[in-house]
Amino acid sequence: MGIKIVPRYGKSLKDRLYLPAIFSGMKTTISHFAKNLKDTSNIKTECYPEMQPTDITSRYRGVHRLTHRDDGSIRCVACFMCATACPSDCIFIEATEREDGIDEKMPALFNIDLLECVFCGGCAEACPCDAIRMDTGIFSFVATKREDFVLNREKLLANKAFRDEL
Amino acid sequence: MNTVLVAVIVINIILALLFSLGAAPILVWVERRVAGFIQDRLGPNRCNINGFRLGGLIQSFADMLKLVFKEDFKAKAIKEKFVFTLAPVIVFVSAFLSYMVMPFADNLVIGSQTFIMQGLPINLGALWFLAFAGLSIYGIILGGWSSNNKYSLLGSIRAGAQVISYEASMTLALVSLLVTYGSINLVDMVNFQSKLLFGFIPAWGIVIQPLAAVIFIVTAFAEANRTPFDIAEGESEIVGGYHTEYSAMKFGLFFVGEYVAMSASSALIVTLFFGGYNLPWLGTDTLKENFHTIMLAIIVILPLLSLLFGRWIIKNNVWPSRDDKRNNESKWLIRVLILINIIVIGILGCFLINGITETTTNIAVAIIQIATFAIKLLLMNFVFVWVRWTLPRFRYDQLQNLGWKILLPLSIANIFLTALVVVGLGV
Repeated sequence: MGIKIVPRYGKSLKDRLYLPAIFSGMKTTISHFAKNLKDTSNIKTECYPEMQPTDITSRYRGVHRLTHRDDGSIRCVACFMCATACPSDCIFIEATEREDGIDEKMPALFNIDLLECVFCGGCAEACPCDAIRMDTGIFSFVATKREDFVLNREKLLANKAFRDEL
Repeated sequence: MNTVLVAVIVINIILALLFSLGAAPILVWVERRVAGFIQDRLGPNRCNINGFRLGGLIQSFADMLKLVFKEDFKAKAIKEKFVFTLAPVIVFVSAFLSYMVMPFADNLVIGSQTFIMQGLPINLGALWFLAFAGLSIYGIILGGWSSNNKYSLLGSIRAGAQVISYEASMTLALVSLLVTYGSINLVDMVNFQSKLLFGFIPAWGIVIQPLAAVIFIVTAFAEANRTPFDIAEGESEIVGGYHTEYSAMKFGLFFVGEYVAMSASSALIVTLFFGGYNLPWLGTDTLKENFHTIMLAIIVILPLLSLLFGRWIIKNNVWPSRDDKRNNESKWLIRVLILINIIVIGILGCFLINGITETTTNIAVAIIQIATFAIKLLLMNFVFVWVRWTLPRFRYDQLQNLGWKILLPLSIANIFLTALVVVGLGV
């Protein structure tokens, strides 16, 4: 095994004077300052409410949505897999008989409490029918009442994927 | 008492207020915007009055208003209510008073009268500054102690120990300057610096006394409790330090006092080392003799600078959403800029055509010197801010090492060196 000699810094006169290092640090900061002052469009931050983020990837976990079948009816079969997988118990499902002959079961009630949800994506992962997804790209949800944060079946069905390529 | 005397004194007091108290919101704004730019972000930029943002300056006034109207909360555990209330006042008043001896311009001669252009017309100069800068630590210590909170007490003890160790070096660095300049009067010091060294270098303090300059600037950072020497507070260790228990305008006084102290330190640094109110190569007498040339130079330079500034405004002062009233601001700013140009050039043009009396020349020279002082002060304050956002806080033992083992011996050695040179050369 070779021995690697690690150089020890800080003992030379230049290092012990402190000032050269301080000045080189100040050079770095002033170069940033000058660059940004000359042209504020160099700044990477966005003025948020006016400028919405453009770099949300397709894997971003936003607010949930319930997907549709080809004929437009609900894809969910109320198997409770998502509610079982959910670590924060925020999904509340009540199943009912499906009368139109497409499948046997469907949810009568499908509520997601966004205040409890931790956005882990476990529900989308557990779903055997690809019925729940988190690809809406909605990262900001506000309401004035606690109750408004509970999304019901209709609201979840109305959410759209923010990108169509999937 | 005559009207001229009263007018000059009132103007001096207003100027001193503007430079110290009026500078505080501007410095807070500079601090936040410079910090933003250094860290590649924008800083406060949305607060506006009818679309006028002034680059975010309005935010400082909004913050100040908030502090004034907040509830003045006081914990029940605080027994020493009088001292608790007195502490921020001491910090603020001493910072404010230490500003009062900074000369904004050379002695102004109107008719047969001579005026000292300072907030208070006294000749104590540097000693007055040292006295009041040293007093401000009492406010910090009393505030920390009367808060009845161990974090506050720790913060104030740390601040007290720091000031003791740095004030010694600061005063000793100043002594070597007093030996060089041969006076404690700041106006004399500035006039000494208006000479030329070897015929072409301005004899600024930083050229004559580089070591004293370094020591003084470093200790001034410690004196003003600014990074890298702001161990009086420390979010990770002792919460807010000495002002943990303070709220509303009591905290506001500490906050403003800190910025006034910083501005006072910058003013003293500018006065001692960077030629004070003098433009380089242009002493008061040179300015008065060549005033016509100076006026012509201003008439040429001012529109050029305004053009550059106007282009910068048009390019950078935009708001992302198009139909926001904040986008109208640039238009008005440019109008104001043009108006200033017209007024200044008009007045100077009148002087050029009609000739100018001696009193008017004196007043105009004083105005130029005040502007020079203001610009230098702003630049020095910028250095304070710049250093704050570059360097991390010193550890306590490093700070004491630097103070006692490095700065103190260096400043004493500097006194001997200076004395040897002064005696040896007989200057």
